Amino acid sequence: MDATTATGTAPLAAGGPVEESTVVGMVMQEPVAAETKLKMKVMVAVDESEGSFYALRWTLDHLLRRSSPALAADGDEVEMITLVHVQQPFQHYAFPAGPGGAAFYAASSVVESVRKAQEENSALILSRALHMCKESMVKAETLILIGDPKDMICQATEQMHTDLLVVGSRGLGKIKRAFLGSGSDYCAHHAKCPILIVKPPKEASKQ
Amino acid sequence: MEDTRQERQRQEVMVVGVDESELSLYALQWTLDRFFAPYAPHFPFKLIVVHAKPSPTSAISLGDPVIELGDITGVIEVLPIIDADLKKVAAWVTQKAKDICNSRSVHDVTFQVMEGDARNVLCDAVEKHHASVLVVGSRGHGAIKRAVLGSVSDYCSHHAHCTVMIVKRPKTEG
Repeated sequence: MDATTATGTAPLAAGGPVEESTVVGMVMQEPVAAETKLKMKVMVAVDESEGSFYALRWTLDHLLRRSSPALAADGDEVEMITLVHVQQPFQHYAFPAGPGGAAFYAASSVVESVRKAQEENSALILSRALHMCKESMVKAETLILIGDPKDMICQATEQMHTDLLVVGSRGLGKIKRAFLGSGSDYCAHHAKCPILIVKPPKEASKQ
Repeated sequence: MEDTRQERQRQEVMVVGVDESELSLYALQWTLDRFFAPYAPHFPFKLIVVHAKPSPTSAISLGDPVIELGDITGVIEVLPIIDADLKKVAAWVTQKAKDICNSRSVHDVTFQVMEGDARNVLCDAVEKHHASVLVVGSRGHGAIKRAVLGSVSDYCSHHAHCTVMIVKRPKTEG
């Protein structure tokens, strides 16, 4: 404990004369950091793709390493991560399957069953994700959003003041040549917070 | 002794790209605060800070690879001056990065200055050091500027073979 507080206060003196314009930002952050031990709010976007689960696994292994037993004993150190899953909204009008090609409104029963299926799907994904978090002894909260994944995730990071957004590199669009899916790319450009894009290991060995 | 050996084996490599912009130095600082300082002294990552020093010819032509034949003599005279200037910038950036690392008591950091375009330099550094994470800052240019000026963070997020972290400065902070 003494070691961490020592490093927290020392930079206040050392950081002062070195930098000009960034001093104000640093000085304001330092005291807060020393007190709260810089709990980072991490949000991980999960969907059905294996890439997003690998991203979660990577996050749990690297960011939330509680390898030191001393840290694990201290209740403060356990950080919360937010798992977010975005459901695509079911279009109520769709599937011009008939020969006429005219769109028709889906019957309410169809809508209901699709909605149920989506909820079950989300529940499955999130329970798997929660299980992974539990195994790594990390607290997690889940968030289900409905809408376009890219927009919803970026909005969620803003509203929740996330410190770091973690996404897989490729979601459901399985274009193998692209190293970065459109969703992750969109989030990389539009999210207001830092973003971590986790690439699956297989791609590294392919090239 | 065995513990430290195990620590070193487990340690993965993190490459942070820095240039003279405040944003990239902020990215380094942010990374150290979140990923290194809380874990002192057993840092989970080995940190390598890479600065890409542009080659003098590219600095002049600003992306236009064709130099007119008539301009060559004039350009050649100017090249050593520009190169010296770029070296000064590289030294300044390295010093700033060292200061940031020292202020957070993160030692055992490798600082590298490599010549070339930042995009290639960073991706090469990732390959060379078998990095598991590449960290870059992002200016947050709009789509048009990004297309015209090119974006290092964009290129790296597409082409680097490892996890990429793009650090943005929150707009609400002063």
